[in-house]
Amino acid sequence: MSTATLVHVVVSGLATGSIYALMALALVIIYNATRTLNFAQGDMLMVSTFAGWAAHRAWELPLIVTMLVAVAAAALLALVIERVIIRRSIAATHWDVLIITVGLSLMLRSAAGLVWTHEDQAFPSFFGDRPITLGPVKLAPVSLGIIGGSLALMLCLYGLFTHTRVGRAMRAVAQNQRGARLMGISVERVYSLSWVLAAAVGAIAGVLVAPVTFLSTKMGIVVINGFTAAVIGGFGSMPGAVAGGMLLGVIENLAPLYLPSGIRYSVPFLILVAILLVRPAGLFGRIEQRKV
Amino acid sequence: MKAALEIEDVSVYYGKRRALERVSVRVGEGEIVTLLGANGAGKSTVLRAVSGLVRPTGGRIVYAGRDITRWPADAIVAAGIGHVPEGRDIFPEFTVLDNLLVGGHTVARRELAGRLESAFELFPLLRERRRQPAGTLSGGEQQMLAMGRALVARPRLLLLDEPSLGLAPMLTREIFRVIRRINQSGVSVLLVEQNARRALGVAHRGYVLETGRLVVSGASRDLLEDQRVQTAYLGLRPPTEGAREGG
Ligand SMILES: Nc1ncnc2c1ncn2[C@@H]1O[C@H](COP(=O)(O)OP(=O)(O)O)[C@@H](O)[C@H]1O
Ligand SMILES: [Mg+2]
Repeated sequence: MSTATLVHVVVSGLATGSIYALMALALVIIYNATRTLNFAQGDMLMVSTFAGWAAHRAWELPLIVTMLVAVAAAALLALVIERVIIRRSIAATHWDVLIITVGLSLMLRSAAGLVWTHEDQAFPSFFGDRPITLGPVKLAPVSLGIIGGSLALMLCLYGLFTHTRVGRAMRAVAQNQRGARLMGISVERVYSLSWVLAAAVGAIAGVLVAPVTFLSTKMGIVVINGFTAAVIGGFGSMPGAVAGGMLLGVIENLAPLYLPSGIRYSVPFLILVAILLVRPAGLFGRIEQRKV
Repeated sequence: MKAALEIEDVSVYYGKRRALERVSVRVGEGEIVTLLGANGAGKSTVLRAVSGLVRPTGGRIVYAGRDITRWPADAIVAAGIGHVPEGRDIFPEFTVLDNLLVGGHTVARRELAGRLESAFELFPLLRERRRQPAGTLSGGEQQMLAMGRALVARPRLLLLDEPSLGLAPMLTREIFRVIRRINQSGVSVLLVEQNARRALGVAHRGYVLETGRLVVSGASRDLLEDQRVQTAYLGLRPPTEGAREGG
């Protein structure tokens, strides 16, 4: 296999991986604040991307506005879900809440099918079709666009979590809720904010990826890849989520070159099992110091 | 004296289990008041009720003239009550500096630098360790951090839960010296301590709790003389029994 092919495959792997990384970040943001694993994260992505698409069709919006509509829809959806459903089950076990989010995921999927369509839809792209040629290497603009857009979003998140008061408050809640309360942080507000932030990240990922994968009520399944990415990185670690996503994306794209082509869809599961066997704490895992 | 804090007939339950029954405690402005009692007597629960971590089933809590009984914890902090809890609840993955910055969550940005400076002045060790993850500090250092962090918000009333627990005698003296300094700067203090002698040494008045009820209260001087307090918390035997055993 030529180096050019390899570069091409790795770059598309990084593009896929960027989306996994964003999904993983969304899962980790909610998990760190609330200790809830939100199985509906992927379907929230799907619904908000659909909302953007519907607005785009109705009013012929520019794509950037379409993305903002998707983000706004995501924020609203997250706020409603968190306040109306999740907050009420705060006394339930994490397992119960996980089951609730599984139910939510199914509901969102059928609702999207009813309101919009179960057929796959084309989604407009920010990026052109003409491949970018670098010597022998041909790269799809959309791959580079997804990678660039995701990295920009990750940088924003990094800035938010390390350099703003609200970001520091969110990380404080992740470490010690009672301590955070005693510092005057409204833990409830951090819960809501985490859901909204995670959903917004998902919506941006959805708008970035939909031109490649098509818009579909089935696209929420990306939550599995996001979860795997987060586990690879050490669940709870944000740098880990990014590294795990990129790694998973690249392996998924490389594996069919060396192994039977059907292997691609089994990759997340194989890696998940391997990680749990070899290094349960993940790449960036550390000793659990938190009080539960 | 005007009251900084009035706890009136407060009862608290954990599920069906009663932790406090009609407890009343008053902290005057500028006062240090100590709560004494054996393990499980309900001392920490009193502090938790004040800072909004647990909800009383009866009674009321008045701070600076306002009934804060049902306020959420974050509003209570913002109103000027600092709580350094048992177990300290620091943020182990944050540096010392980040812990202090979270302590300033309710503080206006332009005042933050000055607040950090006064915390460092009170605990110079925190300045040296400011880049160190808080989880790697020793118990005594974590206690200083927990106190410094609460003080960044510049509370008018400070609730301290067993600040000397597990500390070496030298560190304990240091902590008590700082408590006195904080109080001299005008902060009222409600202090929970196992070390009754030290607590009564620094406090103006004290209350003794037994299984959720108040049994004795009074000026520290009087409590030090009180026979029940002497037997139960100061490790002194009642003179008559002592004489009998000795004879
Ligand atoms: N979270 C809790 N759940 C149930 N019972 C508790 C809880 N916290 C304290 N208690 C009980 O309430 C009583 C008072 O506890 P606490 O206020 O911590 O006492 P102290 O601080 O004087 O040692 C004890 O009997 C204790 O076992
Ligand atoms: Mg206690």
